[in-house]
Order: sequence, then C-alpha cells, then structure tokens
Amino acid sequence: MIQKIIMGIFISAVMGSCATVKEYEKVELNDPDMSLSAGKVDRFQTNFQAYREAAAGANGGKTGGGCGCN
Amino acid sequence: MRILISIVLLLFVVTGASFAQEGPETGEETFKKRVLENTEIDLLAGYYSQDGENAAVTGGRGTEELTDIAPTIVVSIPMNEDDVLTIDAGISAYTSASSSNVDPFDGKGPADPFTASSGASASDVYANFTGTYSHSSDDRNKIWTAKLSVSTEYDYFSAGVGGSYTRLFNEKNTELSFNANIYLDTWNAIYPYELRPFGEGGNGLNNNLFNRIVGNEPYAPSFTEFDGETRNSYSVGLNFSQILSKKIQGSLALDLVQQEGLLSTPFQRVYFSDKPDVFIENFHLADDVERLPDTRFKIAAGGRLNFYLNEIFVIRSYYRFYTDDWGILSNTASVEVPVKISQKFTLYPSYRYYDQTAADYFGPYEEHLSTEEFYTSDYDLSEYTANQYGIGMKYTDIFTNFHLWHLGLKSVDLRYYHYQRNSGLTSDLVSGGLNFILEK
Repeated sequence: MIQKIIMGIFISAVMGSCATVKEYEKVELNDPDMSLSAGKVDRFQTNFQAYREAAAGANGGKTGGGCGCN
Repeated sequence: MRILISIVLLLFVVTGASFAQEGPETGEETFKKRVLENTEIDLLAGYYSQDGENAAVTGGRGTEELTDIAPTIVVSIPMNEDDVLTIDAGISAYTSASSSNVDPFDGKGPADPFTASSGASASDVYANFTGTYSHSSDDRNKIWTAKLSVSTEYDYFSAGVGGSYTRLFNEKNTELSFNANIYLDTWNAIYPYELRPFGEGGNGLNNNLFNRIVGNEPYAPSFTEFDGETRNSYSVGLNFSQILSKKIQGSLALDLVQQEGLLSTPFQRVYFSDKPDVFIENFHLADDVERLPDTRFKIAAGGRLNFYLNEIFVIRSYYRFYTDDWGILSNTASVEVPVKISQKFTLYPSYRYYDQTAADYFGPYEEHLSTEEFYTSDYDLSEYTANQYGIGMKYTDIFTNFHLWHLGLKSVDLRYYHYQRNSGLTSDLVSGGLNFILEK
C-alpha cells in the first residue's frame, strides 16, 4: 500500500508539469548534484547492496550477472 | 503489478506526446560542441567490512565477517567530436571468514562455524574490465552505446555484452533511453569440503575425514553435484527522464531480468531437521548445499526526483519497488541532501531504507526438510529491513589548479556509509575518488 501511494505521488509530480525549460534556464538543473544518475564513487555502495540484498536494478547498477551475487 | 503496467503505459503516452512536440531539425543551430573536451581519469577505491552471525556458507549460522578492498580506474577518452571510449578496470580483493569455512578442517584449531579457517577459500580476487563506446548524433539528441565486459574470480567467470539507445527531445527536457544486456557466466563449482567425497569420483564415507566424526550418528548427506555450471542473465531496461521546472527533474526506470542456469551458490550449506546431526569437532556436517530453481524473473521499477532548493541545498530522492518469481517483494527509499558549505566543498548526508520479504525457499538453520525440492539458508534471501546512514564530502575545483604531471585535479570525493539489518548484519563502507582532467 505504501509503495502504491509513493509511486502515485511520484507519477503525479512527473505529470504535474511538463513546461519546457530553455537551455539558458537550466543553470540550476545542470548542477552536478542534480544529476539523475548515481555518482562514480557510489558504485561501491551499489555493488555491496547488490551482493547483500535480493533486489537489484532500476538504479543504474547491475541487474544480475557479472558476479556471483544476485 | 498494476503499478508496473501503469508506469509502462505512462512512459508510452508521455513519449508519444513528447515526440509530437519535437520541432524539425532543419534550421537548428549547427555549432557542434565536443561531447567530451578532454580525457578524464577517475581513480576510485572502496573499503568494505561486515560482520554478522548468519553465514550462508555454514547454513545460516556462523560468522559473516568479511573485508574487501576495491581499487578501480575509469578512463574516458574523446575519440572525436561525437564519440567517447570509456575503459573501466578494477579489482576487488576480499578476505572472508565464512568463505574460509568452505573447508573448516584445517587442523589449526577445532572446526567451528563461528571461527575463520585458513583454507584456500578464505580470500579471493575479483577482477573486472568493461569497455564502453558511445556515439552522439550531431544535434546531441541521439546517443548510442555499446558495451563489452569481462570479469573473473576463482570460481566464477563472466562475459557480458550490452547496448543502449537514448533519445532526447522537447528541447532536451525529455529523455527516453532503452538498454539491453546479456551476461554469460560460468561457475567453477566449489563444494563444502565434507560433501566432496560424495561427488563424482569420491570415496564417500571411506574418506579419512569421517574418522573424526564425534559420536555414532550415521552421516548420510543428500548431496549430488550440480549438472550444469552456467548462469545466463538477460535484461532490458527503459528509462524516462523529464525536466519538470527550472529547479526540479525526475526519472522513472524499469528493468526486466530473466536468469537461467545455476542460480544456487554451490558452497552454501543446508541442514535438514529430519536428518541426524553429525559433527566433527564443533562443526555440523552439511546435509546438502542450497538448491534454488534454475530460472528467475525479476522486475525492478524505480524513480528519482531531484529538487534544487537554493544555492546551498539540493534534495535527491529515490524510490524502487522490486519483485521476482521467487516470492520476494522489496522497497528501497533513499534521500541525500547535498549541502554546499563553500564554493569548493559540499557535504553529502544521506539515509537509505530497505526492506524485503523472504524468498519462498528460505528457511533458517535446520528448519528445512529433506523432502523439499528447493531450499536455502542464505539470509540475503530472508525477510528483513535495513537502514543505512551516510556522510560524504566533495572538493571541486573547476579550474583544476592542482596538477600532477599533465593531470589537473577536478574533484575529490569521500563517502562513508553504515548499514544495519534488523537480522544482525552490520557493515561499513568507506569509498573515495579522484577525478583528473588530462590537459593537452
């Protein structure tokens, strides 16, 4: 139930605004901390989680294969 | 499942709408900036340690102590204005108390699942190499990548191939990406020491090891070696990113994975409650190794939402739902709040929550029955919740004032994470990275 609510809120937020932002207006969006992918140094965190947890994927990390994990 | 179907439908609807909004390419600005101006080099390293008392190697009971050091280098080379080659190579060297107990009978003390042994499996080195080639179209609205990877450790080899296609439209406000990967892996199966005499060509109970059995209980494991040692993984993924305002952007990701082959780990013991308990010293001899189905289908759906609050604070949030046909359901949620404490320094406090239900085949130490078809006592497949707290710091110098030979230092990253399961496992991770620009 909780995940349905969270996903609903997220989808609503995504759909709530699709106004086009011009290139010259993207200064803040281009801040490295606004990146939608994990940083290079985060790979170690993603790797140990893939070993220790059953869930994997949808985070830019491995989804299975390539190691004896998962 | 309804949520996943909704997400897929949403992606197609939004994608269609955004394609419809896209203007003609003719007449657009023709200036072409290089995708990557200079060669970039990342030197990365991670130090990981964990401890717990539910080792899968000893059937869900025993030390899980493990340390791992993983140095890595990533080099991104601009091949021309449009293409970038990225080489990613690293090793991961670990020592593991639980793995050492694949053979606990080293004669240097009483065999015991809570004590490390000095066997050959006490340490190993995992090495990996990945090459990725990416090509961007002239207008930078289309990106193709191709990837080859190889990794090896003593009992495991993997070769992978993959690719992705990314399309940007709506003045680069919308991005849709599709990726596919295949991994062809092979085990070199290592079995628990006391079960090897019952494998192919073994001498069974005539092995001298069994002269050391304590008491008169008959030892009759249910063990046979696995028929096949390959594991293939096929995955497809869809990623949709959208700028929502000048300060907010988000993404949705969907990964589907099909795995086939040997999905059990051959050296993880299982103890049955309907079999006699047989010991050598303090060590309970295995009844079998874990047996898991030879197929697994996984679905992971996640979303990110990032807010640029002001010049000091950014909020990075993430949520993932995961399920598979082994009966596991999982939720992951995390938040990170980068705090720019000066022009060059940023702090990264973070929190991550994780939960999962148990796989249908999981049972603790000595709770399985020998009549079951599938069984495991690997606590990574048990029900639990985990909390992770992190802190990090990044130093950024966009002018690369510090030089090492022709390399200009662009950034220094340092992270620390503490991870705790409610089932007892704890771990700590320290990782760091140096990002250099090769100056011409």
